[in-house]
Amino acid sequence: MPLQVFFLRRLLLTIPLLIGITLFSFIIANAVPSDPVSANIPQNAFDNEEIIAAFRAKWGLDKPPHEQYLTYLGNLLRGDLGVSIKTSKPVLEDIRQFLPATVELAGFAILIGMALGIGTGIVSAVWRNSIADYLTRGYVVIGVSFPIFVLALIGLNVLHVQWGIVAGPGRLDFIIRDPPAVTGLFMVDAAIAGQWDKFANAFSHIILPAFVLGSFVAGIIARITRSSMLEVLGMDYIRTARSHGLRERRVVIRHALSNAMIPIVTVIGLSTANLMTGAVLIESIFAWPGIGRYAFRAATSQDFPAIMGVSILIASIYVMVNFLVDILYYFLDPRIRVA
Amino acid sequence: MRKSVLFVLAVAVVLLAGFGAAAQDETVLVIGHTEQTDFYDPANGFTGTTSMVRRATYDTLVTFPDEDASEILPSLATSWSVSDDGLSYNFTLDDTPRFNNGDSVTAEDVAFSLLRLKYVNGNPSFLADNIDSAVANEDGTVTVTLSSVRPTFVTELANTAFSITNADVVRANGGTDSMDAAEMDGAAEYLNQNSAGTGPYQLESWAPQDETVLVRNPHFVGEAPYFDRILIVNIPEAATQKAALESGQIDIATDLTPDQIVELEGNADINIWSGPGQWNHFLIMNADPEIGGPVSDPKVWLAVRLAIDYEGFLELWPGSTTPGTVMNIFLAGAFQADRALSRDLDRSRALLAEAGYPDGFDIDLKYPDWNAFGVDMNINAQKIQADLAEAGINVNLAPGEFGVALEEYRLGNAGFGYWLWGPDINDPVDVLAFVPGGKVATERLRFTEERAPAEILELRDAVKKESDPVRRAELFEQIQLWLQESGNFAPFLYPPTQTALRSGINGYNWHPQWVMDVALISRDEM
Repeated sequence: MPLQVFFLRRLLLTIPLLIGITLFSFIIANAVPSDPVSANIPQNAFDNEEIIAAFRAKWGLDKPPHEQYLTYLGNLLRGDLGVSIKTSKPVLEDIRQFLPATVELAGFAILIGMALGIGTGIVSAVWRNSIADYLTRGYVVIGVSFPIFVLALIGLNVLHVQWGIVAGPGRLDFIIRDPPAVTGLFMVDAAIAGQWDKFANAFSHIILPAFVLGSFVAGIIARITRSSMLEVLGMDYIRTARSHGLRERRVVIRHALSNAMIPIVTVIGLSTANLMTGAVLIESIFAWPGIGRYAFRAATSQDFPAIMGVSILIASIYVMVNFLVDILYYFLDPRIRVA
Repeated sequence: MRKSVLFVLAVAVVLLAGFGAAAQDETVLVIGHTEQTDFYDPANGFTGTTSMVRRATYDTLVTFPDEDASEILPSLATSWSVSDDGLSYNFTLDDTPRFNNGDSVTAEDVAFSLLRLKYVNGNPSFLADNIDSAVANEDGTVTVTLSSVRPTFVTELANTAFSITNADVVRANGGTDSMDAAEMDGAAEYLNQNSAGTGPYQLESWAPQDETVLVRNPHFVGEAPYFDRILIVNIPEAATQKAALESGQIDIATDLTPDQIVELEGNADINIWSGPGQWNHFLIMNADPEIGGPVSDPKVWLAVRLAIDYEGFLELWPGSTTPGTVMNIFLAGAFQADRALSRDLDRSRALLAEAGYPDGFDIDLKYPDWNAFGVDMNINAQKIQADLAEAGINVNLAPGEFGVALEEYRLGNAGFGYWLWGPDINDPVDVLAFVPGGKVATERLRFTEERAPAEILELRDAVKKESDPVRRAELFEQIQLWLQESGNFAPFLYPPTQTALRSGINGYNWHPQWVMDVALISRDEM
């Protein structure tokens, strides 16, 4: 199948998926047996019919659910995600504010996760049952099962408070002003502006949360890399490569790893999407003003427009990442091109 | 390969070494805080952080002392008078204050601000319900007429929701005080990002759920505050606030838990401010037999109050006090711990027997699964369960998600529950919410006027109209005695407010109305 057709087919499939997501989020958000009024209006104002009516009218809550949904879809088609009840700003603007912090953190975390995970996974597969293998497997179990918030709090208290070798919560020291906004990624923006002290400050702030998130992902990646590599290393073509007298490094990297990549890429893709959307705990602990924290706040305050906006964003991220993974498959595995 | 590893390590070391570099020429106060902000617009916002920011950026007609809400002091109004019928108030204004654009404060600004609050139907608009008209007089005074007598009116004006805004600026940004303001007013967006007030600071920016920045009001008349800039940083995790305070990244941590405060006590770099808090924790009992079952019986109400181990709660939450009644302890005339009930299990069991439950009964305790400003409600519910078991009442804990539990409570469908209350109005009249006919007693707990004895209804009606302070105090005393004996609430805990500050920070004071006044805070010079 030519790439264009493959690409188009994947793209078209995402449309019904996104519509389904909006409907699903809408039903779930409406099914909660609680009222946005009690989540957003002070108790003393509950009895003031005019205030309640004004609130309902302002947020469209006075209309029947199907009408609310259709209005929402109509607005969505025009690129309007509505206004958040909690921040009273357009949801799109909120997403623009909070997403870059998450992208920067998740990007760093996935780099750390890949470096650690693929590295240890290869070592543990190549030297199977060695000390390195046992250490890796131990690390995988701990990395995956150790509660991430405990690791975060230990890191914060030991590395930041006690030893002072990394910076604490926030994206920059609080007294430092943000670099001029271009991408919203502080390290990139600081570099663009040539503000290297801010670049360094941002780096020292991101390294700890990124490492905590990355170490969790690394555990999963290491596990998949190990099993996938073990399978490939037992293949005939590896034996053939070795019998041709190739250097072991070339056998492992060129012949084994590239063929073991499919499941690894899948896990990396899923982990990236997961990090982009599910880092609520880490964002809370590190006072990281990201989309996870925004989503959590939206959910607990029944902020319908924000809940819907974030759901669509999360779904789109998953769809996009899956799409990229599929495209990568296309290049990694010639069999997919033929099928 | 080895070279590239060394290079990466070298870069990392350089980067980490540089993280403390950026120095500032200005004085900055950083407050780590769990942001609770709906709007900064005075007519729309009604939350803790909002009050704190409005205190810094606006003034009200009258105000409270810096430390508490014990008396009413002049602010933008230098004096005021009340008409004989108690319906009309005339305010004389101070002509020295300046708005942050340099304009002086006029009677027109005052009338506009009060009417906009009333008609915009925002979260705090209920405070202005009773205002019939607000008129700017030719002599520069303002006359406010109420639709019914309200002795607490002037006290309520100290609420920062009554902040006086610059009418021209607000109008220029879409604001209106007309009766259709609920639909037509569009100034909230502007007032969420800018202030238009006379306070010592002005709002520079607000990134919701991230950071609020205040800078000096260049036209402020009065003693200039110490800090050039105030940063209010949203740090929702208490453990993170503690870490940031210990490392000196923030100067003030407002939301630490009692355990964390204890951990910080030996730290020479940190001081703890401790004082009475705002929240009264109590059990609620529904007066409707169909909903409350056994807890709808007034004898059971008192039995429950007498079964609680009040001393035990004080040990559980160091620094706490036992509330005398559901009336908040910092309100004038409120019963303090010395007049609180004590545990009396024998009498409690006797009352249960009289009510027809000699062997006790089973009941669900409904409450939100929530950490209430550092106090985990689950822990208290477990202690209530253990305490009441000793009197023979078998409590089954039924925590619910906050919004769901609140909805059930709000609709009056909770039989036996656990909630808390902080006053909306810093006047003893706030307690009337808990007597029959009041918001909590009747709407949430169905203790209707028909079910209530005439005695309490008479007391309630008398105190609503009374403006003589001595007589008022007597009436509130009688109401509190009635609540202890016959009310359908069991208040059991009043946790303290504890704030952790870097040493060298002075002038901090927790306030029931505006949390803290940042303009009073300073730092020792190094």
